[in-house]
Amino acid sequence: MKNFLKIKHSTLIAITISIVFCLSCKGENETDILKIGLAEEPRTLNVWLASDANSKKILSQIYQPLYMSEPATQKLIPWLAKEHPVYNPETISYTVTLRKAKWSDGTDLTSKDVVFTANIIKDFRVPLFASKWDFVKKVEIIDKQTVRFYLTKPMAIFLTRTLTGPVVQKKEWEKIVQIAKKKEKPLKTLLNHKIEKPVGSGPFVLKEWRKGSYLYLKKNTYFFGEGIIISGFKLGPFLDAIIFKIFGTSDVAILALKKGTIDMFWKGIQPGYLADLQQNSDIRIFFSEKSALYFMGFNLRKPPFNDINLRRAAAAVIDRNFIVSRILQNYGTKLFSIVPLENKFWCCQDVDHYCESHPRDKRILLAYKTLRNAGYTWKISPVDLDGNIVEGKGIRTPNGKPMERFTILTPPADYDPHRAMSGMIIQEWFRDLGIPAYSRPMSFGSLLQTVKTKHNFEAFILGYGKLSLDPDYVRIFFHSKNDKPRGWNMSGYRNPCFDRLADQSKTTIDPNQRKKLLFKMQKMISRDLPYIPLYTPKLIEAVRKGKFTGWVEMQNGIGNIWSFCMLKPDHHTKKSF
Amino acid sequence: MVTNTSDSMAGALDMLPKKRQKISAFNEKWLIFKENFIGRAGLILLSLFALMALLSFIPPLIDPMYHPMTGVDPKISCSVGPSIHHWLGTDFIGRDILSQLLAGAKIAFMVGISSAFISIVLGTSIGMIAGYFGRYIDAILMRLADIIMVMPTLLVVLIFSSLFGQLNIWTIVLVIALFRWPGVSRVIRAQTLTLKQRPFIEAAKLAGASPIRIILRHIMPNVLPLSLLYMTFRVSSAIIIEAALAFLGFGDPSSVSWGMMLQWVWKTGHMFQAPYWLLPPGICISLITLSFYMVGRAMDEVLDPRLRKEDD
Amino acid sequence: MELRKYLFRRLIEITIIFFVIMTILFLLFRLAPGDPVSRMVDPSMTPEDARHLISQLGLDQPLYQQYIIYLRNFFSGDFGVSFHYGTSVMGIIWDRLPNTAILFTTSIILSAFVGIFLGKIASWHKDKKIDTWLTLGALICHTLFLPWLALIMIWFFAYKIGWFPLNGILSPEIWIQTDACFFSKLIDVLHHLILPLATLFLIHFGSYLLIMRSSMLDTLKEDYITTARAKGLKEKIIRNHHAAPNAALPVVTSIALSLAFSINGGALTETVFSWPGIGRELVFAVSNNDYPLAQASFLLIAAVVLLSNFLVDILYAYLDPRIRY
Repeated sequence: MKNFLKIKHSTLIAITISIVFCLSCKGENETDILKIGLAEEPRTLNVWLASDANSKKILSQIYQPLYMSEPATQKLIPWLAKEHPVYNPETISYTVTLRKAKWSDGTDLTSKDVVFTANIIKDFRVPLFASKWDFVKKVEIIDKQTVRFYLTKPMAIFLTRTLTGPVVQKKEWEKIVQIAKKKEKPLKTLLNHKIEKPVGSGPFVLKEWRKGSYLYLKKNTYFFGEGIIISGFKLGPFLDAIIFKIFGTSDVAILALKKGTIDMFWKGIQPGYLADLQQNSDIRIFFSEKSALYFMGFNLRKPPFNDINLRRAAAAVIDRNFIVSRILQNYGTKLFSIVPLENKFWCCQDVDHYCESHPRDKRILLAYKTLRNAGYTWKISPVDLDGNIVEGKGIRTPNGKPMERFTILTPPADYDPHRAMSGMIIQEWFRDLGIPAYSRPMSFGSLLQTVKTKHNFEAFILGYGKLSLDPDYVRIFFHSKNDKPRGWNMSGYRNPCFDRLADQSKTTIDPNQRKKLLFKMQKMISRDLPYIPLYTPKLIEAVRKGKFTGWVEMQNGIGNIWSFCMLKPDHHTKKSF
Repeated sequence: MVTNTSDSMAGALDMLPKKRQKISAFNEKWLIFKENFIGRAGLILLSLFALMALLSFIPPLIDPMYHPMTGVDPKISCSVGPSIHHWLGTDFIGRDILSQLLAGAKIAFMVGISSAFISIVLGTSIGMIAGYFGRYIDAILMRLADIIMVMPTLLVVLIFSSLFGQLNIWTIVLVIALFRWPGVSRVIRAQTLTLKQRPFIEAAKLAGASPIRIILRHIMPNVLPLSLLYMTFRVSSAIIIEAALAFLGFGDPSSVSWGMMLQWVWKTGHMFQAPYWLLPPGICISLITLSFYMVGRAMDEVLDPRLRKEDD
Repeated sequence: MELRKYLFRRLIEITIIFFVIMTILFLLFRLAPGDPVSRMVDPSMTPEDARHLISQLGLDQPLYQQYIIYLRNFFSGDFGVSFHYGTSVMGIIWDRLPNTAILFTTSIILSAFVGIFLGKIASWHKDKKIDTWLTLGALICHTLFLPWLALIMIWFFAYKIGWFPLNGILSPEIWIQTDACFFSKLIDVLHHLILPLATLFLIHFGSYLLIMRSSMLDTLKEDYITTARAKGLKEKIIRNHHAAPNAALPVVTSIALSLAFSINGGALTETVFSWPGIGRELVFAVSNNDYPLAQASFLLIAAVVLLSNFLVDILYAYLDPRIRY
């Protein structure tokens, strides 16, 4: 036992030493390293496989697109490209001139790399990009700095979706592509290729990735943007390096933020944290708009929601004020069209608002009238003879049969408490009308499987946290062509009129004309209601004051390439401490 | 976690041939049990929890806003601390934490007792069958037990719930039960083996009793106390597994269990801000497992005469 | 000879069990609904592209063919490629294994030592105050809800007092320095280890204490202890040299037998502390529908548990002459 105690003694001593040692270690490095908390480990640094938010966050520092959106206006501006593309309507081609830029290994970024990137996507049919390149017939090198894209037909999303994808280096990928093409499963080989040190053209370059712990990015000395002015910003980067620390849970990351272990937590936080963080004088909170869509969707393929009147009644009883003020605690906006309000150019505000500001009994009355006129009957009607609202019971569909109970599928509360709660509340609103609705949270994977592939559901609540600014998704979500397993038309909405408009919108290049088409499409959806748009949450992000300044606010948050190019160490405050 | 003591006890009991002992009068055991401090404390705690479970039916009757899942206070839309209307405060959308806590007790008993009961019934019958019939039936059943024993139950349920979508609470109960019988069946088998050698079984055999009759009439009464003892341990392990599952986000989202409550605190970011919300469910989970455990240990001492005081 | 035969039989049994588990896992993962591609939620990905990807991942082959490939790959040490990370599963596991091993072995060893030590004290003072308190304390620690305890530990020790780092296994500030010496890196990891270790220790030591206590009480009644007493040996010597080593044997067994359950706790601890180990990876893999990774980590866990059970068999066969097969 004495030995045992001795061991304990020595471990205690070792622990004490280690604590002292560690504390002393921390004060040493005072270089300008930005420390960012990530919620989860990035999936991969292989740009072709990276479909998750965290990988994209890292890769956006490394691989750069030809064009990107400007912070203030969200307009597309040249990034790797020198100027806006030149369109030739006769040959349906775009000519793009590149800036003088270098890869992080010092070699020149030329038109060869752009063509090579396009060919990888087309040859391998890389799932995440293929649909954006389908209509590109050919990509041609004009000279070292000029590329020309030939399209099969004019395509609206070419600029906003195709040319905003990342460009990769030919030198880095050439060999991999050659090997993969010889394999039995080329795409798998390409996607599963392990990239240790991605060669990019962005402001930062990966130095080290210690799996499960951190990623260490250093300043890219060859970054093309350093010192030039784009969109009114004189670009840096002014940081020496960025460390991305991986946290498993938001709570701990928030504690780390409060403690000063990280300077920023790159993830929207729940309003629950706010009260505490706002009191903290070291923390600055940013509220930004999100291009997001949270909606309730219906299965139009089967009863009860194949009846438009029921969907209209549903739209009438859903009280967005309640959802936004209570469930989102006012950190969000009510949504009426499929294109979020924040997408100013494309959002059609002139859609049916379905008694937006009515009190509850008026809503019920309206929904009741809609249903009654459509032939629904009740055992106990939700509106009695004197016009008072009572609890409805025993609803029967127009064919006289009692309505069967149905479920509203939502993601579970841990995945997104807002959607789960909305489902619960909407269930109660339905029951006020005597409609037998049951809200059921379901794990995210199986929820997607059910609504996307199996189609055996009645209603669901889902959302897109990061919609592209280009509204092509309106077409994708409701085109009858996509009404098939794994297709994005989850509701099974089929409307030849809409299809025609959608197809037209796809090939209309003139923004104003396309806008008219999209407005018509939005109105059509708002009338037919395959989806009922619910809300757009606000993005809440927190950073630490004092060490760095210069965050650039834009839609979808401060975590954008502009911020990382503009952030400066705040030496002034450091001295005053 | 909790279960490892019980399982190792299974091992210990396996190895130490138990003294022959007749099922004596229930009263005598009860007296010993009553004197045991740990057992008494456990019983008191348990009855408190049972009271909680019973009380859980009351709040929704007072006002619909006290419904643990769907009721929200019309005046409150964020998490606030204890007040007159909400003795333990409200959660992030204004639901009453106290009524959730009470409902959690109901779920805990439901999950714990039903899953423990199923696994004990399974374990006891499999143990008796394996022990009595021996040979290849024994070999097959015991290898099956081996297979199940090496799988960590929590991780298995986790895999199940991810593969087959969200599991509802009864499926979780069933899966836990199906993976928690081998420990019991081992002990029961060992007990059956010693019983088999005893004269009264031989006598019954000679009298022409069928194996089923022998098992039911002669073996079962003798192993039942042991099964009952194991049941208390299984109850606490089932409660813990369900809570851990819910905590990790794989529970039944439409039930209000303590694990679920903890998950809500965790995922909505109130963990370190709302102690009135974080502490009660954790304390309840810990205490209810503790109380079942204490009762189990006390029973263990009652059943194992060698540990009785008068033996010293 | 008997002994060797017995161990050989056990070994064969264990191998068979392992393969049965492997097959069950395979079937479970293949028959379940849900595939990794359905989680990719980019609206611009068309159904055709999704199907293309599925066929590239080999998920559209008939079941038996997939099984044959699975077995063949297993024997060549290839566990396939993780759907989520897109890299080889073996690589990921080798990456995470040391982290789990550090946390797990230290916590088991530490709690076993302390449990045995305190259990001995408790049994020696049976029915006195110290025994009641120790037993009660062990019971309480042992039944604490682990994730809850872990979160409170983080909050108190890492945030309120700030003695320890919040989570993870290392601080990047130290590891990115090219001139950081091995010693400071080691200290850094140890510093991170303390909190998760303490959490696991608190949960585990109680059960070992209880087992040691009852096993010691049993041993003290054995004949050879009575003999030793009759010889007039000091109580302390009897306790530490005669009784304790024998009484500790059930603790060792219990460690091996309850390994599967300790692994549950390990996974929870790793998840809460973001300790990059196998358990946490398994939880992630499960929620990402990453079959190959979940399958391989589960198999690894099963193999470790089986092996440890086998080791206990061997140990028993050698140590306890009373057991013969």
